[in-house]
Amino acid sequence: MATGFFATDFGILILTLLKSLALIVPLLIGVAYLTYAERKVLAAVQLRKGPNVTGPFGLWQPFADAIKMLFKETIIPDGSNRYLFLFAPVITFGLAIIAWAVIPVNDHWAIANINVGMLYLFAISSLGVYGVIIAGWASNSKFAFLGAMRSAAQMVSYEVSIGLVILSVLVCTGSLNLNAIVLAQRHIWFAIPLLPMLVVFFISGLAETNRAPFDLPEGESEIVAGFFVEYSAMSFALFFLGEYANMILMSGMTTILFLGGWLSPIPFVPFTWVPGPIWFILKVAVCLFVFLWVRATLPRFRYDQLMQLGWKVFLPLSLGWLVLTASVLEIFGWLPHA
Amino acid sequence: MQPSLMNYFPILVFLGIAGLIGAAFVIGSLLVARQNPYGEKLSAYECGFEPFGDARRKFDVRYYLVAILFIIFDVEVAFLFPWAVSLSHIGMLGFWSMMGFLAILVVGFIYEWRKGALDWE
Amino acid sequence: MSVTLPDAIAPPALKSCPPAAQPAQPVPPSPQATTDAIETIWCDADHLIRQMQYLKTDQAQNYRLLLDITAIDERQRTHRPHPNCADFTLLYHVLRPTDGKQLRVKIPLTQDALIAPTLCAVFPNANWYEREIWDMFGIRFAGHDNLRRILMPESWQGHPLRKDHYSRATERGPFVMQAATEQAEQYALRDSPALAGMIDDADDDPETMIINLGPNHPSLHGVLRLVVKLRGEEIIDVVPEIGFHHRGAEKIGERQSWHSFIPYTDRIDYVAGVMNNFPYVMGVEQLAGITVPARAQMIRIMLAEIFRIISHLVFFGTMVQDVGQLSPVFYVFTDRERALELIEMICGFRMHPSFFRIGGVAADLPQGWDGKVREFLAYLPKRLDEYQSMVMRNRIFKARTIGIGEYSAAEALDWGVTGPGLRATGIAFDYRKIHPYSGYDQLAFDIPIAQRGDCYNRVQLRLDEMRESLRIISQCLEQMPPGPVKSNHPLAMPMPREAVLHDIDTLIPHFLNATWGAVIPPGEVSTTIEATKGLNTYHLVSDGTTQPYRVRIRTPSFAHLQIIPAISRGAYLADLIAIIGSIDFVMADVDR
Repeated sequence: MATGFFATDFGILILTLLKSLALIVPLLIGVAYLTYAERKVLAAVQLRKGPNVTGPFGLWQPFADAIKMLFKETIIPDGSNRYLFLFAPVITFGLAIIAWAVIPVNDHWAIANINVGMLYLFAISSLGVYGVIIAGWASNSKFAFLGAMRSAAQMVSYEVSIGLVILSVLVCTGSLNLNAIVLAQRHIWFAIPLLPMLVVFFISGLAETNRAPFDLPEGESEIVAGFFVEYSAMSFALFFLGEYANMILMSGMTTILFLGGWLSPIPFVPFTWVPGPIWFILKVAVCLFVFLWVRATLPRFRYDQLMQLGWKVFLPLSLGWLVLTASVLEIFGWLPHA
Repeated sequence: MQPSLMNYFPILVFLGIAGLIGAAFVIGSLLVARQNPYGEKLSAYECGFEPFGDARRKFDVRYYLVAILFIIFDVEVAFLFPWAVSLSHIGMLGFWSMMGFLAILVVGFIYEWRKGALDWE
Repeated sequence: MSVTLPDAIAPPALKSCPPAAQPAQPVPPSPQATTDAIETIWCDADHLIRQMQYLKTDQAQNYRLLLDITAIDERQRTHRPHPNCADFTLLYHVLRPTDGKQLRVKIPLTQDALIAPTLCAVFPNANWYEREIWDMFGIRFAGHDNLRRILMPESWQGHPLRKDHYSRATERGPFVMQAATEQAEQYALRDSPALAGMIDDADDDPETMIINLGPNHPSLHGVLRLVVKLRGEEIIDVVPEIGFHHRGAEKIGERQSWHSFIPYTDRIDYVAGVMNNFPYVMGVEQLAGITVPARAQMIRIMLAEIFRIISHLVFFGTMVQDVGQLSPVFYVFTDRERALELIEMICGFRMHPSFFRIGGVAADLPQGWDGKVREFLAYLPKRLDEYQSMVMRNRIFKARTIGIGEYSAAEALDWGVTGPGLRATGIAFDYRKIHPYSGYDQLAFDIPIAQRGDCYNRVQLRLDEMRESLRIISQCLEQMPPGPVKSNHPLAMPMPREAVLHDIDTLIPHFLNATWGAVIPPGEVSTTIEATKGLNTYHLVSDGTTQPYRVRIRTPSFAHLQIIPAISRGAYLADLIAIIGSIDFVMADVDR
């Protein structure tokens, strides 16, 4: 702990604020550039150019979009609940941001290194459905309503398998602390012994963030834009930012749980000289690329197929794998002593 | 401030910042952009037509069913969290009692499956 | 060439369409001589149902497909075709799918009794055709349970295809949209599902929800409106509403010269370019007795097949995008661009080339055309292979389309489905084979068929058909005969320059043709082609003037939309999108 000014209560507040901003600002820029990356990746897959007019290689495009959104009219539909309508995107966006408080990008580099980090993340991601439901309900539009219903059912369905996958990692680490979870992977990434769980986790992550091929809540060709069909201007942008921040969060969680967080994948010099955050960002970027790649490649599931996959495949699979992991560790006495 | 709660203080700060940014975006846009609402623009989207009736109505019970199933399994997951973390301290007894609990749940799950609660039809 | 058919199924019991009680038996028909070889008989309204039932169910007749129903306002016609002919004529056009033979049944109606019995109980697809006739001519159909306007708005005054209805807005007083009028129109649109019997259900379930899908919707391929009744995700009922793209092509035809209507036909099915030129010019040529030179015939086939590929590519890309695969549509449009470059090289235009002319084509093929076509022939098959593995073998795509939107061969015939939609049910009915026109009999190609009649089959068939089209194009390339590309007939093309300058007897007809337009001999003719989406029929009536007396355009898209409710009930909302994607329609082709 620092001494002098930063040891006082007020000083701690200032310090925390600065640290938080040091995370949030790059995060928001990352989100903005993820939209750019998505457009570039999709364009590359589809033999197009993507944004290439604003600035070199179209690099100012996210800022141009943000400014455009800011100056758009906020349309609040007639029959809607005005305050809930405006509040819903703030919830979605806010939840996507605050989850980052516990993500360690390097050893003990988290804003809040709490002992129940994993539980906190699980709780925050469960709350995500509220923004969507409130948006669908407050809009008082049938397309929004259908989208919200679909989305609520979908997000809670995959929440369960995500929970079970997290549990199989937890029995291997014996700690809910994210820092400890990463350090437990010093010898072997959990991606290797728990490979099926990585797959289940990632696919559930796609469903949880409403991304293709599970983008039914906003299924463009069916219910147009789903729960945010009535949104415009910055309140629309917040949903957009929230979705992309959630994608980064999911990739971050995948990195921490399975890909060894900030640890170097090649455990000798000179790769260990590379700072942890660089490795962390690289791994997150790889996961994000897979998100985009999947979107460019796969058709959309139908609603009942999605539910079937969640309840009849992923739930038994992850539950069985959890029992298997716990039993193996118990029988061979490999349980971690945290 | 209590030291154990100190760890959570940054989360509060984060919450404040996130809420502020979100609110600033929405309110900023409301203030900066020219607002020109009129009846047609404010009507709910229904592919260019006036909607038939209200959107807030009874809806399919199957969505509720999913929510109920979710509660059962999410509570189960919540129970498993402390067990998973402390597995090395609770020994064989702890391990087997949870296995028993899971077995009961699995029986329930199989029952639901056979009853067709997991089918969307 | 013959086709085997399934047994006819009993027509669905419609609420107010009682099936005819009498056993089917022929009424003494009264034949009419026509310019084309299609048998035409006159019958009266009282015997219509029995006559049609006989034609459909009698084993020897077996006219299972109701191709078209239309009407003709005969009041200003000078060359009456038959002594029975009265003020209006109802025209029923049936087709025997086993050998492609067609037959017309005509019903005379007088101005004071414009009513006929409905044919819904015999042919379910009569429904929309009868509504269209009510809309356009004001002829009522007794027993029709939903006789509303279909193309014009409910508030329209008069019946546009009557000869006394104005054809241009300038022929009536200036129109100003008042707020009250606008509101009334909106209200009328809002109410239409109630008229279709959708809202006032006695057993109305409070958990159902009625939503508008379209016309302003990303995946309805234009301005189609579907009013959908849902319970959760499940579809209880669908009512298609059309007419938003109606431009009055048939009415326009009545005031264009025979030549100047050709560009309008391009716009009927705007993704299939020359496919609508084709039956129109064939019809005029038959009326005028013009023989088209072999080279022109072959050029026509080649262009038609290139446009078939273009149309199928657009279908494929958009269909796949509708089920959520975002990328193939871009690859497909790249290929389409290659095909359009060929079209541009030959015709000078891309989407609407208007290249077919009465008696031939507009110009000869440009130098070096064969090299470009050969390049395209080498290019496309590899791409098609790629689509096969990228889309057709994708498991999610299969899960979304196999077994979705199924209909049987009997249902397809009952609803007037033709083209790939019919072939997907196992019936090898292709008009190019069964009734070869324009020289298709000289070319070898197969008819791809499938058995299940679901969305997957319909997509797969179109991929296969593109390969067959490539085969046809390559044969055109090898066999392209030399010679002129236009007929020397005086009604077809401008007369030879030397002759015009040499003698006055050639100069005068040339002058008349060029200024007033060609005078086509009186008569009636129907020409049918296998267009990209199904059978495309033009029924032309000439009264011996410079303009058509009646142009009837029977498009496949119009027929195919009618089957949507029957195959969507009980499916999920997402299936509905796959179904309408797989049907392949163009709203301009539906509404004309």
